Amino acid sequence: MDSIGGMLRDNAAFLLNGVLTTVGLTILGFVGALLIGTVVAVFRVSPITPLRVVGTVYVEFFRNVPLLTLLILIVFGLPDIGLLFPLFWCGVLGLVLAGSAFICETVRSGINTISVGQSEAARALGMSFGTQLRLIILPQAFRTMVQPLVNNFIGILIGSSLAAAVGVSDITNVTQQLNIRYAEAVVLFLLSGAVYLVFALGAGGVGSWLERLVSQSRIGSAR
Amino acid sequence: MATDTATRVLFDEPGPRGRATIRIATIVAAVIVVLLVAGAVWQFAVHGQLAAYKWQFFTYTAIIQTLVVEGIGNTFLATAVAAVVAFPFGLVLALGRLSRRQVLSRVSTAWIEFFRSMPMILVVYAFLLALPRSGLVLPVFWMLVVPMILVSSASTAEVFRAGIKAVDKGQWEAAQSLGLSPGLVLTTIVLPQAFRIVLPNLLTGLVSLLKDSTLGYVVSYGELMQQGKELVAYYHYMIQTYLVIALIYVLINWLLTRLASWLQVRTGTRKTAAAPVAVDLEPAQ
Amino acid sequence: MYTFNRRGLLYVAAGSSAAIALAACSSGAPPTTTGTGSASGSTNANRQISQDAYDAVIKGGPVADDATVSASPWATKIKGASFIKRGGTTTGAIFSLKDPTTGRVAGFDAGIGDLLAHYITGGTDVSKLTQVAQTTVDTRETMLQNNTVDIVVATYSITTARAQKISFAGPYYSSGDSIQVKADNTTIKSVTDLAGKKLVTESNSTAITAIQKFVPGNTPTLFADNDSCVAAVQQGRADAYVLDESILLGNAVKNTDLKVVGTPFTTDPYGVGVNKVDPAVKAFVNAFLQKIIDSGDWLKLWKATVGVYVEAAPTAPKIGSVPGS
Repeated sequence: MDSIGGMLRDNAAFLLNGVLTTVGLTILGFVGALLIGTVVAVFRVSPITPLRVVGTVYVEFFRNVPLLTLLILIVFGLPDIGLLFPLFWCGVLGLVLAGSAFICETVRSGINTISVGQSEAARALGMSFGTQLRLIILPQAFRTMVQPLVNNFIGILIGSSLAAAVGVSDITNVTQQLNIRYAEAVVLFLLSGAVYLVFALGAGGVGSWLERLVSQSRIGSAR
Repeated sequence: MATDTATRVLFDEPGPRGRATIRIATIVAAVIVVLLVAGAVWQFAVHGQLAAYKWQFFTYTAIIQTLVVEGIGNTFLATAVAAVVAFPFGLVLALGRLSRRQVLSRVSTAWIEFFRSMPMILVVYAFLLALPRSGLVLPVFWMLVVPMILVSSASTAEVFRAGIKAVDKGQWEAAQSLGLSPGLVLTTIVLPQAFRIVLPNLLTGLVSLLKDSTLGYVVSYGELMQQGKELVAYYHYMIQTYLVIALIYVLINWLLTRLASWLQVRTGTRKTAAAPVAVDLEPAQ
Repeated sequence: MYTFNRRGLLYVAAGSSAAIALAACSSGAPPTTTGTGSASGSTNANRQISQDAYDAVIKGGPVADDATVSASPWATKIKGASFIKRGGTTTGAIFSLKDPTTGRVAGFDAGIGDLLAHYITGGTDVSKLTQVAQTTVDTRETMLQNNTVDIVVATYSITTARAQKISFAGPYYSSGDSIQVKADNTTIKSVTDLAGKKLVTESNSTAITAIQKFVPGNTPTLFADNDSCVAAVQQGRADAYVLDESILLGNAVKNTDLKVVGTPFTTDPYGVGVNKVDPAVKAFVNAFLQKIIDSGDWLKLWKATVGVYVEAAPTAPKIGSVPGS
């Protein structure tokens, strides 16, 4: 028991860094994916054909490519054509690209739940595209999107662990390194698993809270 | 110019000025896209990555054999074996969770919630690094497939649970009022319908499993990523090899997803675009 | 999604016709050169372990007489199976590397395994002498302990800690950690210049402890295999790569944009891992190792594998000279 305590104390900073890296990858990945995913969703429903094509190709590629393949391509393939990013940002980039494809579909479904009458009324009132999006469409769409977005978030959290396979020092990688040095495998893996479990359940909890919050608001009637 | 519901939500039906704007925007967008693609190709060329020998490499029969036959073959093998075990297991877990027996329900729920939040690579590392120290060394194939099964069983269980719940309650009630026992109701009335509902989701789960199989790279099982690693170890064409492999995966998964769509239409379970069935039961992996 | 149907078919058609065109102009065997970005025509980059030369060395190795084999139940079992199970890797340059086109594994470690198999079984079909089971740092000892493999020959460093769980025959090779940098690097000349630099090494190598000892405070980036580390240095992700010198020398020959600097700053003896339960097994393998050293086959194997990339032939290490062996 002593050796375990000693190992944890000696490597507390290392472990903490790992957790922070995981959190950083997840949050930056999710925010980036949210932004790009929304843009790509707008592309996919726009009346401009080249944009629709780009959007569709983008989603089909990044939804179907395995995340590990994507990360390896970014970490080892891109430098071959002159694009060398620090490892952490390679991880973020991979998560943003893959995550945005899934979030795009979530946003698109969300937009689909808005009745056309809402937006026609908005445009009849003279609202610009941006205002329409911000005040009428997204708030209503968001109400149905909360649960799928939480699932996307958890997906990105779990995906962040794959960065460990390309050298990023997230909690999975730190666990593996410590396991090679010491022999306390069980403790380390339980610790690591607990981190992901806590974050995933936490995200689920935040999602439920958000859902209750938005269902209480009274912007428009959804259908 | 498709003006389906989603488009009309965001954009008005274009009038004459609208159509002109769209035409201009289309040309501008097309030009920008072409420029971007050309820029990417130029970037490749400038770094010598368009050299013919690096790409002709993939036409050699031996390489095609390694990549396609061995790589894809083993990928399919691992995925199929994992699916054959995980899907029925997932059904059992779902039924367990829905069961009225407290113990069964709690255990199933715990298993499902645990493995849904667990990254597969962590489970793989546990099998690869932790278990051997206590004496259990599995063959490489199972070091990949067992984690696949564990993680997939949890998400499949949720898929089945959603499917069972999606079956109209009236079906249950009618069957029970006819005097059928709950067990019979489940197996003869509800499950077949639930199965039809979730079939596309199962295919999405299969795509997920296929993407999970890439972790063969970590355990050195000879699926497609591992073959790529071995090829790169020998020939060093990094971006070419991994790009080709990425495209192979995209193609295979895309075909599987199209199959799922087609099945959705064919079994008549596709709802309108306004509420697509189960788009995001699978987390991005 | 369904308006996409025809376009989807178009893409699939385009893709398949491209694939068919590629297959149609497919030629027989891929280039035997391991080319890199700089095809500078230097003869170094084309050096390759010759499969024929390797096979010749194995076939020319000594064969044990029946008395020696039957005296050892371990060897008798292997002779009965007519192949040996070796724990190792198939992606290790110079020591154990699989040729993707032939499926044959060749290298110094592979050769020790094949020579031992040839010694016990007398078999002459080199491709059937050994079955390689992939092992990692963590599975090596367990696989020996539960006899999943007969031997482990995998740049396996002899340490007293490991010798408590399994037995080491040898050492059969003596190496040390050295430093690899880009060919135009003039700032790093030895281990003392590594302070503050970005280092990279393999995630399961003894080089990690070496770095901790000689460059304290430096956390190297860890990758799973040699090629990722090579790519990291070539692509500028790291300043220097610390690993076993022979592997680095091999990298430098295959990649003319890399070089090895300084002399090895650690000593790393490699041993053949065997099960600890029967001490006669270790004695058997030690006898075999001594035999190939005395008969000159050790040197011949070295010349056919490591010697392809390195000029100066070393002297064979003394069996049992290292604590733990």
